[in-house]
Amino acid sequence: MSSIALPHAPPAPPARRLSSWQAWGAIFIAPYVLVFLAFVLYPVSYGLWLARDPASYARLFADPIFFRTVVNTVVFLLIAVNLKFLLALWLSGFFVHERIWIRWLSVIFIIPWAVPSIPTIFSIRFMFNPEWGVINSVIFRLTAHDGPNWLNDPHIGLGLAMLTHIWKSLPFWTLILIAGRLAIPREQYEAASVDGASAWQKFRYVSWPSLRTLYLTSTILSMIWTLGDFNSVYLLTGGGPADLTHVLATLGIRYIRLDQVDLAMATIVCAMPLVLPLMWFMMKNLSRADRQ
Amino acid sequence: MRRLYKESVLLLLAIPILLWTLLPIYHIFLFSISSKDSAFSGALWPDKPTLRNFGTIVREEHFYLHHFWVQIWNSLWIAVAVGALTLATATCAAFAISRLKVRGGRTVMNLALFTYFIPAAFLAIPMYKAMGAYGLLNSRWSLVLAMVTLAAPYAIWVLKQASDKLPYELDEAARIDGATPLQLFRLVYLPLMTPSLVAIGTYALLLAWNEYLYAYLLLSHERTITLAVALGHFISADDSPWELLMATGLVYALPPAAIYYAFRRYMVGGLTAGAVKA
Amino acid sequence: MASVAFNEIHKSFGSTKVVHGISLKINDGEFMVLVGPSGCGKSTLLRMLAGLEDITAGSIAIDDRVVNELESKDRDIAMVFQSYALYPHMTVQENMGFSLRLRNENKNVIEERVGKAATILNLVPYLERYPRELSGGQRQRVAMGRAIVRDPKVFLFDEPLSNLDAKLRVAMRAEIKALHQRLKTTTVYVTHDQVEAMTMADRIAVMNEGRIEQLGAPLELYDRPANLFVAQFIGSPAMNVFEGILRDGAVEALGARWPAPENKGIPGQPVRYGIRPEHLQLGGDGVPAEVVVVEPMGHETELLVKINDIDLIVVMHGRFAHAPGERIFLAPQAANAHLFDAASGRRL
Repeated sequence: MSSIALPHAPPAPPARRLSSWQAWGAIFIAPYVLVFLAFVLYPVSYGLWLARDPASYARLFADPIFFRTVVNTVVFLLIAVNLKFLLALWLSGFFVHERIWIRWLSVIFIIPWAVPSIPTIFSIRFMFNPEWGVINSVIFRLTAHDGPNWLNDPHIGLGLAMLTHIWKSLPFWTLILIAGRLAIPREQYEAASVDGASAWQKFRYVSWPSLRTLYLTSTILSMIWTLGDFNSVYLLTGGGPADLTHVLATLGIRYIRLDQVDLAMATIVCAMPLVLPLMWFMMKNLSRADRQ
Repeated sequence: MRRLYKESVLLLLAIPILLWTLLPIYHIFLFSISSKDSAFSGALWPDKPTLRNFGTIVREEHFYLHHFWVQIWNSLWIAVAVGALTLATATCAAFAISRLKVRGGRTVMNLALFTYFIPAAFLAIPMYKAMGAYGLLNSRWSLVLAMVTLAAPYAIWVLKQASDKLPYELDEAARIDGATPLQLFRLVYLPLMTPSLVAIGTYALLLAWNEYLYAYLLLSHERTITLAVALGHFISADDSPWELLMATGLVYALPPAAIYYAFRRYMVGGLTAGAVKA
Repeated sequence: MASVAFNEIHKSFGSTKVVHGISLKINDGEFMVLVGPSGCGKSTLLRMLAGLEDITAGSIAIDDRVVNELESKDRDIAMVFQSYALYPHMTVQENMGFSLRLRNENKNVIEERVGKAATILNLVPYLERYPRELSGGQRQRVAMGRAIVRDPKVFLFDEPLSNLDAKLRVAMRAEIKALHQRLKTTTVYVTHDQVEAMTMADRIAVMNEGRIEQLGAPLELYDRPANLFVAQFIGSPAMNVFEGILRDGAVEALGARWPAPENKGIPGQPVRYGIRPEHLQLGGDGVPAEVVVVEPMGHETELLVKINDIDLIVVMHGRFAHAPGERIFLAPQAANAHLFDAASGRRL
């Protein structure tokens, strides 16, 4: 005795409800979409259009500063970011130890990231002033010799800019890696202890495999963002001396201030060969992480 | 014995970390309480610490500080506007993507994140031209909208992650109870998202308050610039009163430090929430 | 009058078809249970009735009114979810009154109706508490209270007892049944637990792979299962089923002759022989079997016995005097035997 005891009603056509819920979905997402269209899509398209003239690139390459800037940028990216991440990796291991004073230290540690760049980078700039800065004063007091002319040497200047960049952004990435470490179940370390692993072995066989993807993805993302780090160079050296410490970010802005918009845009486009492979690595790493 | 060894190693490591972190900050503080002469003597502690610099700032007595109060007001106004607008936009977008499951939501999310693949300094230049085209240059709104553009993608992402943790059955129960999308948003979604909203609002606010480059490009008039840009002007002359600059910088740096300290638990949790989602 | 009618309902998710043309009529005031294994489509059917899933083809009518196009809130239904879905930021009182508040109902009316539901469900002392402060059973009752306050035409339950421990489940079963007898609202109840189905339902629809295998009253399904699936799904412990050949009014299986009902099937036909554990009484000259495991339950005893390397379960009243390894004799009656076609599984 099965089911059907109904007069045969024609089955309703499969209805496509243009439900009001979908309509509301569109309304809720609209504000952001407008923001994106007006302030990302349009500027990027406009910018690319401004950079269309090959003559701009010819002029750009002819500018003696340009080549030096590219070298600076590559050096900055490779050295500063990797050094920063090695420090972050090491510090994240330090900060996961559970002590009250370490917790307080971690709160203090975040300050460079939380406070604005202007006063802090200027502060570093003044510390290194060759005449009256505290660094050289201390050196003089200790050795009776004058300290080096820090920011007037292009190599030292760039090095200090890198150090400034690390000072500012290290806390953020250390936090990220700390979160990564905390996600590793404690039992894995306990099992390793029972198996007799040393601290280095625990890192190599427990911590690193879990952190590796996060580390690499973060490094790549940080490289993309470091390409855009204007403050560290501009506020410390202004690009000097004699425009020798410029990076692509500051160079672009320099052209804008000189009203050479096309050169500014050309600078940006020239940075793309650096950005795009990084973007591609990001995507690959992210999708690999997703699949895990 | 082993424990003592380990503790002392940790303590030993703490010292350089502390020095490295605080040295530039201490230096700001040092300058702000120094008179002009002692500041330039390279001392590590002023022989006659003074609060006179702050008086000068508050009374707008120096050439570079003539519009201090207007400028700090601009910084505040813009920061709050960015915080509020980012919250509004991102909350609605996250609601649409996560709860209403709007068609194309995932695409919008990915496009939003694409904003971060353009280094900020590079986006600044076309943004400057675009704001010019919109006629917004030198208006506070140009900086507000630019910062919202920069803060929103991360905000949407964090809010979406947090929102995805809420069981979908709550929405279904509300729908059966008779809720319209607006009622669901107002009466169920917002109350449950409050901690994340606080974290994101604070994040956007701090981002805007701390911003230099975009403010520098988009604002130019003395009375519209933010405090950050005003501070940048100090550098242009050689004999600027650096101790005043540092004192003003200290004032400028205090709000973010204080807010960060007050909300640190929200911030750290909220900010790293998405990082290790795997 | 709040009848529910499913008419030729089909449902596909993308290219996967999960419901194949189900038609079902539920009478006003009836307690209908949809039961079946995971993935059989019972929850999907319920959710289509609730308006939470789109209907690919077919129509659903509540009180003879087709509701395909109606929003959930306009269908006059209430639903109790498996995880209760209580609003964590609202008190019990606010949870139960939420639907009325959405309609801008008068405050006094809300208070009165919530109060009435709370009294029925013994929730009055908890009205100011938050869901996180309540036990599983209490949360369940709040979820039911929320449904009662709406005074709907149909109650929908989606596996509401699955998250409770065994003892609580037994208690809540009785409460839900008592509630139904008191309110007499049409109820559609989904579960994978056949004990819940048997104890609570007016009628049961056994579902499998998107189709209804059998529809009927609990005892009807128990005594006369329409096919092998229903026979083995309903009843615990499950019915013993083994292969045999029908010959001379009996079934030859497991090296013995088993009594079979008359006038069924064709001689020589391969069949599946089904007999429930409680019908395998011990008798003097029946089928020999070897006792493997004895499970004394107190009021009855479950035996695992082996015949020709096939395991069978026997349930008998009282205590069992013999030990594992011993030989016993089983004497089933023909009236208690079920014959199913070996190929199709349908009842003969």
